[in-house]
Amino acid sequence: MEDYKYLFKIVLIGDAGVGKTCLVRRFTQGLFPPGQAATIGVDFMIKTVEINGERVKLQIWDTAGQEKFRSITQSYYRAANALILVYDVCSQATFDSLPQWISDIESFAKHKVLAYLVGNKIDQINSKEVPTYIGKQWADRFEMRFLETSAKDAENVDILFYDIAVELTKDAREKDKLESDCSGFNISPNTKTINRCTACFKF
Amino acid sequence: MAASINNATSATDLETVENLTDMKQIQDAYLKLCKDEEELSKDLDNLLENQTTLEDKMIGLHKTLPNLQILQTDSKQLCSMVTFTSTLAENVSSKVRQLDLAKSRVTACMQRVEDILDLKFCTDGVQAALQNEDYETAAGHIHRFRSLDENVLKLSSDMNQGTSLDTSFKHLHEAEEKMKTIVHNKFDASVQARDVASIERFFKIFPLLDLHEEGLTKFGKYLAAKLSEDADKRLILVLKGTDSTDRRSNVLFADAITQLFEDVARIIEIHQPLVEAKYGSGRLITLLKIIQKECDRQSRKILGEFKSKRDFDSRLQHVQQSLIFHKQLTVEKLDPKDLDVLLSEVVLLNTRTELYLRFLKRRAFGDLETAFQDEDKRKEKEAEVDKVLQSCDLSRLLQEIIGSYITMEEYFMREMVLKAVVMDSTDSGSQTSSMVDDSFFIVKKCVRRAMSSSSVDGVCAMINHACTILEQDFREVLFNRVRAGFPSGFDLTQAYNIVQSSIQQGKLQSSDIEKTKAQFLTTLNNAEVSSEYSKALKSNLEEEVLKLFAQCNEQSIAKLESCLSDLGAVANKFKDVLEFGFSQLTSSVIKPKIKPQIDAFLSTSHNISEEEFSNYEANDPWVQNFIVVLDSMLGSFKESLTGTNYDKFVSLVTGECTMQLEKSVMKSVFNRLGGLQFDKELRVLVAYLTTVTTWTIRDKFARLTQMATILNLEKVNEILDYWGPNSGPLTWRLTPAEVRQVLSLRVDFRSDEIKWLKL
Ligand SMILES: Nc1nc2c(ncn2[C@@H]2O[C@H](COP(=O)(O)OP(=O)(O)O)[C@@H](O)[C@H]2O)c(=O)[nH]1
Ligand SMILES: [Mg+2]
Repeated sequence: MEDYKYLFKIVLIGDAGVGKTCLVRRFTQGLFPPGQAATIGVDFMIKTVEINGERVKLQIWDTAGQEKFRSITQSYYRAANALILVYDVCSQATFDSLPQWISDIESFAKHKVLAYLVGNKIDQINSKEVPTYIGKQWADRFEMRFLETSAKDAENVDILFYDIAVELTKDAREKDKLESDCSGFNISPNTKTINRCTACFKF
Repeated sequence: MAASINNATSATDLETVENLTDMKQIQDAYLKLCKDEEELSKDLDNLLENQTTLEDKMIGLHKTLPNLQILQTDSKQLCSMVTFTSTLAENVSSKVRQLDLAKSRVTACMQRVEDILDLKFCTDGVQAALQNEDYETAAGHIHRFRSLDENVLKLSSDMNQGTSLDTSFKHLHEAEEKMKTIVHNKFDASVQARDVASIERFFKIFPLLDLHEEGLTKFGKYLAAKLSEDADKRLILVLKGTDSTDRRSNVLFADAITQLFEDVARIIEIHQPLVEAKYGSGRLITLLKIIQKECDRQSRKILGEFKSKRDFDSRLQHVQQSLIFHKQLTVEKLDPKDLDVLLSEVVLLNTRTELYLRFLKRRAFGDLETAFQDEDKRKEKEAEVDKVLQSCDLSRLLQEIIGSYITMEEYFMREMVLKAVVMDSTDSGSQTSSMVDDSFFIVKKCVRRAMSSSSVDGVCAMINHACTILEQDFREVLFNRVRAGFPSGFDLTQAYNIVQSSIQQGKLQSSDIEKTKAQFLTTLNNAEVSSEYSKALKSNLEEEVLKLFAQCNEQSIAKLESCLSDLGAVANKFKDVLEFGFSQLTSSVIKPKIKPQIDAFLSTSHNISEEEFSNYEANDPWVQNFIVVLDSMLGSFKESLTGTNYDKFVSLVTGECTMQLEKSVMKSVFNRLGGLQFDKELRVLVAYLTTVTTWTIRDKFARLTQMATILNLEKVNEILDYWGPNSGPLTWRLTPAEVRQVLSLRVDFRSDEIKWLKL
């Protein structure tokens, strides 16, 4: 059970009520929880996926969007391998808070962390307030990847997390390769010690 | 039978008798016939003797015959009697069943009658009790009457009785309404009059009238009012005490909120048994909600005063500004020490609150457990309790305060670590400097303080921040110092020159270089010790956390574990600094130091005559000097490095020696005596290095040792004594190609012989 090649931390952020918890539960448990209570502090869930025949463990941190939990949630940014910034396509207000979130990412996360901008709740087509192209423009401007999802209809949710897992696995493999190339002074595989033969070497 | 046979015999004998001619034969036959006759008469006698007994038996049989006939008639009679009895039994049992039914109807009937009598009794009793203001009895009557099935009773009444029953019910309903009003009014009046006994008296009457919710609500409000009164009085006292120099004045508000919680706890402890006895279990939550509302109000007041008296918000703002503008030095920073006392009070506030909320939860859950056997129903109720507790004002206020606390605690930790770095100093004789111990002390203090808040999210956040501060801020300091490098020019002669020139330039430079060197080595030690400290910090905190948060749910423990494991990983980041530092040391000290010695080896001929060989014996060409140089180099570092670092240093020096020496051997030429000479030199070197290390270095010299063996051979073919199946326990570190290459270094070995060697 516990054997896996890589462990990645993915942190979800964004205003309260945009559907972060629902996205995580949809991906990890395959369900859409009715009457989801507001998250307190942070929560995490685990899901192990297979990427190119290798087991990759995703530790997904779901954070509370409310301001009062900001100092707690911010402490998780730095260790994140990927960040998912979520807004609600049916709420312009949640989209308007993006600059604050992006500035948080810039101050606390690792430089050049893999970041995704996600517009959730696209199942509610009739009340959509943020057009797709506007979201996409924003993502491009801040060099983020972009997806629109529905935790309710399970749309693009697996794609989102798998894409992140694939990308992170690729990075990790490259880094592994680099490291094994660098540790150049190779000790020959035959490193058994000479003990008994000291006599023939007259020591 | 015997007789008949005899007869037959005699018959045949008779025929033969007639044919007999011989006298002797005739006589024999006669004798035989006589004997037969005698036997026959004996048989006859026997038969006659039996005749009497047989006749007796026949007479006996005749006598028993009439008895048998009697027996047969008797049996027939018995059979018919049994059949009759069984039918009778069947009849009786069906009668009994009918009787039973009748009896239960009678009982029910009696119940009805009793109910009707009770009703009458209640109707009369209620009036009397009300008249006598005996409300308990009146309520008891009403409770009794409420338990009767009114419709059934009305059905069972006949016409003329019906009217009286109806009036009874009417009276009772009236009495019930009257009682309800009375209880409400009397309860309120008792509260007004602060008559505790009466309050409890009427509180107990509500459930008899089926007014559970009303009773609990009224009682709850009364208790809340009492709570409020006490709390208000106390807060006034607390506020008077803020200026005092009392030992507890630093935690005044934590104490105040603790007293509030204790009051609530006491109220619940006292009244829970009463509620359970009179109202049944499963209803405590109604009371808790009302009292908690008051507790929320009081907590808000205390926390409000806490914030204003402790300048909580303004300090928080100051910290936030320092964080935003930390690059602009114009903003005057808040002294982290100013936060110390405040932070300690905050964690106390939170831990007391957590403790209190846990108490409420335990009480409420305990009450539900006795009330609901059904698992699902209970779970549902428990979820409701959780929700009430999580969303109460008190919880929310504390969440906010903990949020601010983390911001300030992080600031405190970072600023104090930076201070420790600025005030860094090295005691003489110490291999590390003060900032390592100081920084780790601060980090530990802060995380432990967060732990004492009992807030899982708070602890996790502080562990995360601890990682960041150690891994980024603190490590950066070490890294920058290492990056500055170790000043080269360590060579004694060069050092001498530097000393000379610096004396000419005003003496400063040489001591500066010494200082830089010392600082570099101290930094290496700091990095090594920091790596160890990180591991220790992780395991110490882990132990404490698991103890402190043992009763938390799995999810919280998993969160804590995950954050702690990140803290453990910080150790590796310090290892990186260490590796980098040693690579600096290798290029600026080890390599330049060893290079000239290797050059000396190269310029020493190993293609030598007997005379030269013995001359070398007297005047060592290079190895003794090499050892002197190595010894002085190692010696000068031994004192300055920690044990682990010194071992690492020696290992690097050894590695450099063997690598350079191998290269030089491959560039030299040898004859037999030269090979012997090299073998001698190598042994001296290994013997020396063995004395300065705690671990075995022979392994590092394995390749060189094997080269020396080859260079020391008499003939090319002799190698086969050590090779392949003859190698014994020896593992060759040289490839066959390398063996040939080393063999070819011998000027006296023929190259075709080497070429044809089967390796
Ligand atoms: N229609 C729709 N509602 C959603 C979706 N995702 C979440 N919600 C609802 O949005 C509300 C907030 O969701 P939650 O996951 O708690 O948001 P969070 O605060 O970001 O964690 C809940 O009432 C959800 O039922 C979605 O994809 N479609
Ligand atoms: Mg949530």
